[in-house]
Amino acid sequence: MAVIVKNKVLVRRLREALPLVFLAALALYAIWPWIPLPGRTAKTHTIIFYGFSILAEVMNQGIFPAFLEEWQTASGDSVEFVSSFAGSGTITNQIIMGVPADIGLFPLEMDANRIAATGITSPGSWHALPHRGVVNLTPFIILVRSGNPKNIRDFSDLARPGVQVVHPDPLTSGGANWAIVAVYGAGIRQSPGNPNAGYELLLGVWRNVVAQAGSARAARTQFENGFGDALITYEQEVLWDQSRGRLRGEIVYPRSTVLSEHMVMAIEANVEPEEREIIDAFIQFLWSETAQRIFVEYGFRSVDAQMNQLNPAFGKIADPFSIEEFGGWERAKPEIVDAIWKGRVLKETVR
Amino acid sequence: MSIILENLSKRFGTLVVVDRVSLDVLDSELFVLLGTSGSGKSTILRLIAGLIQPDEGRIMLHGREVTTLPPQKRGTGFVFQNYSIFRHMSVADNIEFGLKIRKLARLERTRKRDELLELVGMAGLGNRYADQLSGGQQQRVALARALAYEPGVLLLDEPFGALDVKTRSQLRRSLKEVQQKLSVTAILVTHDQDEAFELGDRIGVLERGRLLEIERPEKLYAEPRTLFAATFLGAGTVLVGRTKDDQAHFGHLVLPIPEDVPHEDGTPVQVLFRPEQVSLTEDEPVDRSVVLGKGSVVEHSFTGALRRLRLRLPQLSATRQIAPVPPFGEQEMLVDAVVPAERRITQSEFWVSLHGWRILQPPEPQLLVFDQGERGISTLTMAKNIAQQLDAQATLFSVTRDQDELESLRDRLNRRQQEAGLVGAEVRVAIGNDPVEQLAVEQNSALYSMLLLAPQAKKRRSFARRNGRPERRRLRSISRLGTILVKVLSNAHLPVIVVKKEREAIRRILICTRGGEPGKTDVRVGGRLARRLKASVTLLYITEDSAEPGPIAHSHLERAALTLRSLDVPVETSIRSAKKPARGILAESREGDYDLIVVGRHDEESRSVFGRDDVTLQVLVGADRPVLVVPATL
Amino acid sequence: MSLSKTYAPRAAGRQSALVPAGILVLVLMPLLLMPLAAIFVFAFRGGLPEFWRALSDADAQFALRFSLLIAFATAIINAALGTFAAYVLSKYRFPGKEALGIVVNLPVAIPTVVVGTSLLLLWGPIGLLGQMLPTNLQPMFTPVGVLLAHLFVTFPYMLGVIKPLLDELEITYEEAAYTIGATRWQTFRFVILPALRGGLFTGALLTFAHSLGEFGATVMVSGNLRLRTQTAPLYIFAQFEAGNIANANAVAAVLAVLSFVIFFFLLRFAGGVRGRA
Repeated sequence: MAVIVKNKVLVRRLREALPLVFLAALALYAIWPWIPLPGRTAKTHTIIFYGFSILAEVMNQGIFPAFLEEWQTASGDSVEFVSSFAGSGTITNQIIMGVPADIGLFPLEMDANRIAATGITSPGSWHALPHRGVVNLTPFIILVRSGNPKNIRDFSDLARPGVQVVHPDPLTSGGANWAIVAVYGAGIRQSPGNPNAGYELLLGVWRNVVAQAGSARAARTQFENGFGDALITYEQEVLWDQSRGRLRGEIVYPRSTVLSEHMVMAIEANVEPEEREIIDAFIQFLWSETAQRIFVEYGFRSVDAQMNQLNPAFGKIADPFSIEEFGGWERAKPEIVDAIWKGRVLKETVR
Repeated sequence: MSIILENLSKRFGTLVVVDRVSLDVLDSELFVLLGTSGSGKSTILRLIAGLIQPDEGRIMLHGREVTTLPPQKRGTGFVFQNYSIFRHMSVADNIEFGLKIRKLARLERTRKRDELLELVGMAGLGNRYADQLSGGQQQRVALARALAYEPGVLLLDEPFGALDVKTRSQLRRSLKEVQQKLSVTAILVTHDQDEAFELGDRIGVLERGRLLEIERPEKLYAEPRTLFAATFLGAGTVLVGRTKDDQAHFGHLVLPIPEDVPHEDGTPVQVLFRPEQVSLTEDEPVDRSVVLGKGSVVEHSFTGALRRLRLRLPQLSATRQIAPVPPFGEQEMLVDAVVPAERRITQSEFWVSLHGWRILQPPEPQLLVFDQGERGISTLTMAKNIAQQLDAQATLFSVTRDQDELESLRDRLNRRQQEAGLVGAEVRVAIGNDPVEQLAVEQNSALYSMLLLAPQAKKRRSFARRNGRPERRRLRSISRLGTILVKVLSNAHLPVIVVKKEREAIRRILICTRGGEPGKTDVRVGGRLARRLKASVTLLYITEDSAEPGPIAHSHLERAALTLRSLDVPVETSIRSAKKPARGILAESREGDYDLIVVGRHDEESRSVFGRDDVTLQVLVGADRPVLVVPATL
Repeated sequence: MSLSKTYAPRAAGRQSALVPAGILVLVLMPLLLMPLAAIFVFAFRGGLPEFWRALSDADAQFALRFSLLIAFATAIINAALGTFAAYVLSKYRFPGKEALGIVVNLPVAIPTVVVGTSLLLLWGPIGLLGQMLPTNLQPMFTPVGVLLAHLFVTFPYMLGVIKPLLDELEITYEEAAYTIGATRWQTFRFVILPALRGGLFTGALLTFAHSLGEFGATVMVSGNLRLRTQTAPLYIFAQFEAGNIANANAVAAVLAVLSFVIFFFLLRFAGGVRGRA
């Protein structure tokens, strides 16, 4: 009897102490990695990397580990990468707001220009890099539902009534800006005699836009969650899913489309002098054969055309063009995105 | 002496909560501070314990000055009204708390704790928590806790306030036992007179922060000195009459004034008689000198041992009743009496006479200031100046129709009070439609020595055309002064100061004796005021034409001056001729720059000397300084 | 005895209670219960190994640990700050007290995104105070910034629990301790603190729970740096947006379970305090 009573008291005590035990366990779990146990060595360098959304996997899983390996065998130092990936407009704004990024990788040169304008890095500094700072490319393609039920073959099919298009938001997404140029350029190239062809195609497509996500990645997630019939997006995005057997849909290669150019830059104001060397080394590493091979493996087209044969998934584009066609982003942004899309198309579709 | 308070004062903002309190409490004495809520009794206790700091004065405990010491260093035991038993500690831990803090050894602590639990009758309940105890038990624990570290003095703040009647009387007895057993000096604060009588070795009566009387309970009941103590402790009838030839006159009832009660001719005097000092007889008593009159029974109640009766009698002439408070408009006198229960009450009328009474001390000067919280604050400034000169208390009185305005009006009055520099005036706001009626009730409810108010003129003056006809002129006067003032003047039984413009201090007083009239009351009231204010008086006599004033005027002035000199007031006389008496008075007051004009007030019957031409109202309309109006019936 | 007590009214009221209770459950199903269930369905869709793999991802582990650390720190700091604020607001009289009382409760009403923005505009590199600080001391986009945001957002919870307790605890309890001889510290330690103990625990748990789930302000001030300032909710959002629904759901499921446990503690603790009375 006494034993039972004692046990009861014990049980009650235990139950009363349960919250505290639980919280103590949580606290221990939380601080575990920071407890200096023998065998743990402190990381010596931290590189903070900001990239636009579709870079997450290729950087985290491919480029960073490869560089770490190379660097550690060469110098013996250990390095830690901290990274953040979001819509290019978002990361650009964050860098301007002062996040301590050392390196940024953008889908638009305009983003780099905006950052340079604040003085935290010198204007055009990336032009001194190989390929004027461009590390890789990817064409803009159309992703449709499996079996292509709406029979979409080109951008012009997206303008047909009844087709629902998912598109990232041009205010925050670099990919969206590329997508606008891709559609506009395709329109112009296919009707050389009609100066309004680009605008007309763009308007047709935008009448069908049903969802705008914050980034190219988010737009694809929306599409995967069942929104719309078609998505204009980076080829890389789709190939990456395809390579993992996760693609739910089909790629449609438009006859004409733009190849987006992704460029890297060091945020000079945030780079400590002692980090300079490693950061320069990392940036140079991006054009190394190892890195370019990884990019191709993850679905990016290399700056070196030879490399592209390594990935058999790359489809053929009949009539590719680049942003240089429209005088680079310095002119394309105000003339196409601002004047035609924002100034005319958006107003027309809102009406 | 265990506890000595010297001239202790505490103000909260402008409110004087404790006003120059001095008190000696003897060793092992249980002293009771008795007062209504807001009288400052708890504040005194908290001052002694060091929970608040006095603005002035000293506190000594067992010969040690503690005025500036923190509560921790004073060694007082405090029992709070809500007991404040620490809820997360057991009874035992509560009691041991003070010992633990004093780092007493554990054994000593438990011994002490058990002793105390035994002492307060809580043995065996040490493991309980506050929420497992009744109110009475909590009170016992609070007492034990306060006694645990053997404090030099025990302070009890309404310790029985929250208990039912039965528990209360039990606890009173056990408190007294414990206090006597430990012979600890204690101060107990209560508003309950029964409690005070039962427990107090001595009782101190507090009113508005002032310690009025300190006395043994029996003596306090039988021979109170002040009106407050008389009415607060026990029932009784209080009448106000006049002093004349060292005797107190209440109409036909004339009572001797004891030597130790200061008095002077013509001043009000108060008599108290307890219900048990009232005799009721069926036949008219032989000794007519102590008969109040024949009264009829209006209330009758049986309380076990006694029968209580309330009788209504014709009012004694020139007498006013303060207690029991007469209802408004009541012209007759109410007297409480008790008779043994076995006496059958078979008739409705009795002869009422006294077989004992007590003449009370003359009241401290008290100003009643009527202020509606509007317009200028000159009335309040004037009240402040007079209150300072007389060391008088002031009561700010206001009337509103609207219950909802009560608080805002109160706030406004407090702000104005502060603005005027009037410190510590009591603010009273009555709710009613007729300010005049409310003011009359207020005048009756306490012994005010003076009423201050300003003209309440309406802005509209449509019928104020110049017109020679006296009635018109009178109406114009009324409209300028406001009907409230005129009505108040016609039924006030207090001297009324009409503040037309405030004066810094009252140094020179002009008393107007008016043609052909003795004006005895005016002279006396003005003279007494002058004496207390240490002011000089000029007596003014107005002749109606330019003719030489006759011998009547001179002899009249001479008599008046004599009266004033007997009061030790410096006096001059002046004779002036004027077509209209009011103009003469006003001209004189301006020439001599007097601080106060004193004029008499005639009741309706005697307002005939100047026909329908009312001098008082004319003076009030024309004056540019305060005017004291003395009612004729005073 | 307690059985019969609970049974009797239930049996009597069964007829009338069934319909409204049923309606309530029907309303709650799609509103509350099913979404929560969906998290677990998705989290375990790939089986336990897949769930485990998603959870043991370095980013996920970091995000969970970081969220917990911030929540602990927030709870501890705000327990102290909130108690202090409650004490000042409850026991002292001073001009502007009412205004201050409103100000300290303001974070409840302000959208958390606005809180984040305001912190950025004050402490950010281009902010009013931030621009005066050297680069390595700037709090924004560091764990300190996240902590600041969480302290701001959760400030009223502690206050809201403690202040009513202190209001109820009349000043005479302190005064009793003083007259007994206790110093200010002893009074706080032995009289006030024990009276608040239940409230401190409840308030700290509430603060902890809110901090654990904070999103709006954190997303603004953290820079969303993985392995550095990415809290669990930010991780969930980032992973979900990137289409890694399994990763997002694994962490979401863990957060949900943590919240349930904390909520359970809160319920039981509140009940326990009443139970002793």
